[in-house]
Amino acid sequence: MNAAPVPVHAGLTSPFPRSERLITATRDLDRRRTTPELVEKAYVEAENELVTLEERLFTNVTAGYLRWNDLFRPIAETWGGFSVGPLTRWLETNTFFRQPLLASPPRRTPGAIAARLPPPLASRARVARVILPGPYTLLKVLENRSDVPDVDLLSQLGHLLAEEVRELNGSGFGVFQFSDPILVTAPPEGREKDGVSEAYRSIAEANPSATTIVWTFGAEAGPALPLLDRLPVSVVGIDLTDTEPETLRPGPARLGLGLGIVDPRTTLPESLSETVGVVREALRRRPSSSVWLGPGAPLDLLPARPAEQKLLRLSDVRHALLREGIT
Amino acid sequence: MSAPLFPCQEIGSLQKPSLEALGEWEDRLHFLARLGPVPEEVLRHPDVATLQNLRAAFAIAFLESAGLDRVYDGEARRVEMYEYAVRQMTGVEFQGHVRSWDSKYYRKGTVVNPVDLVAPYHLEEYDFVRDHARVAVKLPVTGPYTLADWSYNEYYLARQPGWKGRAQRRAAQRELVVDLASKVLRPTLRALIEHGCRVIQIDEPAAGTHPDEAPLVVEGFNEATRGLDAEFSMHICYSRYQDLLPALLEAKACRQWAWEFANRDSDGHDGYEVLKVLREYSDTRSIGLGVVDVHRDTLETPPLVAERIGRAAKYLGDPSKIWVNPDCGLRTRSLNVAYAKLEAMVQGARLARAQAEGRSA
Repeated sequence: MNAAPVPVHAGLTSPFPRSERLITATRDLDRRRTTPELVEKAYVEAENELVTLEERLFTNVTAGYLRWNDLFRPIAETWGGFSVGPLTRWLETNTFFRQPLLASPPRRTPGAIAARLPPPLASRARVARVILPGPYTLLKVLENRSDVPDVDLLSQLGHLLAEEVRELNGSGFGVFQFSDPILVTAPPEGREKDGVSEAYRSIAEANPSATTIVWTFGAEAGPALPLLDRLPVSVVGIDLTDTEPETLRPGPARLGLGLGIVDPRTTLPESLSETVGVVREALRRRPSSSVWLGPGAPLDLLPARPAEQKLLRLSDVRHALLREGIT
Repeated sequence: MSAPLFPCQEIGSLQKPSLEALGEWEDRLHFLARLGPVPEEVLRHPDVATLQNLRAAFAIAFLESAGLDRVYDGEARRVEMYEYAVRQMTGVEFQGHVRSWDSKYYRKGTVVNPVDLVAPYHLEEYDFVRDHARVAVKLPVTGPYTLADWSYNEYYLARQPGWKGRAQRRAAQRELVVDLASKVLRPTLRALIEHGCRVIQIDEPAAGTHPDEAPLVVEGFNEATRGLDAEFSMHICYSRYQDLLPALLEAKACRQWAWEFANRDSDGHDGYEVLKVLREYSDTRSIGLGVVDVHRDTLETPPLVAERIGRAAKYLGDPSKIWVNPDCGLRTRSLNVAYAKLEAMVQGARLARAQAEGRSA
């Protein structure tokens, strides 16, 4: 009997770079050379162009999260207890985020995150990918000035993110990616491991039918895989430009495998045959019920034009795998 | 007699003023007098070279007027610290802008061929500053590691065999850093020294990006400065400095660390505590102490600056090792805010000096 083909999904896993036109507009706004209305128009145009491209190439769409200044800002600016802190380096990159400062127990503001999702996603909720910070990474980047101990805070962040999932699921959204790179760049130890599991359990229980993806990048995923495999999520994503495929081991059959296969740290185009080969090698080492292809690290480390080239290559890889079939 | 405690310096860039702004600042700074007679018509419609001279003279006067002991020209002739340097070499093509944070971007190049120097750079700007400054001069130059880290490395990476994973990226990066240091930076630094430049700040803001590459930062620095005699410093910012130590201490010719601290010194968080680590390593180099945050308009007060200096002196165990500076270049602040921050910095240093010497300021 032939095994069923493994479904191959693909999509953006991070904010997309702003186009040169949008960059000019946002710079001009800073310098008071343009109006907010014209910048809004530039955002709408850029979002619509990107979501059209995504619909053509991928199984999920994001509209690029172009308005988000960093992954944490919507939370830092809208959740109670938080404020926006100092400029801080984002992992091993030359990009920076404003550190969320937590002065008191965190409180969600209903509707606030939904209101900050890219507008084109509202009418495409069924295929949209909601991207939020993972609870562990959020815990690790914020400065905790509240009297809540970190382990308890991790649990609270999980509950609050679960509330976001519940609310957004009510609006039709069904795919939720939690970007949690610090799970691999500085894996949790001791009680924090249980805290991470508990946080993701809260998220999973918010809507058991939703697809939840934990997406990692920035370091070799191997040491964190035992923990990642225990998380009650639908998909575990690892970056093959940081993790050698030869180091992968089989994981639970229930888990889909996310693979970061284009590298935003170089404009060098990935070889189609090499990339397909690496995906096949990863799947041979770690057979999986579904594959989710994407950029490994955030694609907004590239300018828009080479980033588009990477998206095309990502789509090429998906189609090559679909053509040749993987089981 | 020993030198006064807590001399003040800048780190690099200032906002480039419009012609109109230059006119307004001329009333306060009288910088045109440094240029000799300039016809009114030329001032109204300057060509690019004249505008650059006007901006450089302005920046020198601006920094001197604020009370600094070491100045430069606010990088008036540079597009910015990366792009300007990359345009002086071959082997790199520009791709477009990437975001640094919020709506701040920089143009990023791709290394498509081996890098090489067209001609030593910063010479003209240095000559101008030397001829027009009334106090000591410190020249900032972007370091080889940062130039490499802020570029997309295609040429050297493509030479690595097979799938381009982490190990291949690292090997390619080392080749690029060493080429930049030996083929681009060292000839430039040598030429600057021959022009009389004695104090040179190597800017390595990318040094903290990959902490495990700190030895490569050092290799680039040592390769760039090998055989050269000048007072070199290394500027690093927005990094966990403790993660770069002790590797960084192997930067042989470096006489000063110029680091950012004020950005992280707020609301009960001690941004200067990391200085204790330098003391633990018995590092004897001086420190360029960042005491004003360059990314916020909120003005530091002189007492706050003085308190920060005093705290740092306590951690270092030797106040004479401290130079006082902003965290980083001030180009993201308006000129009015930048000037007010520098004034507060100088007044704060004065206050700290008086406190250290047991007298009132």
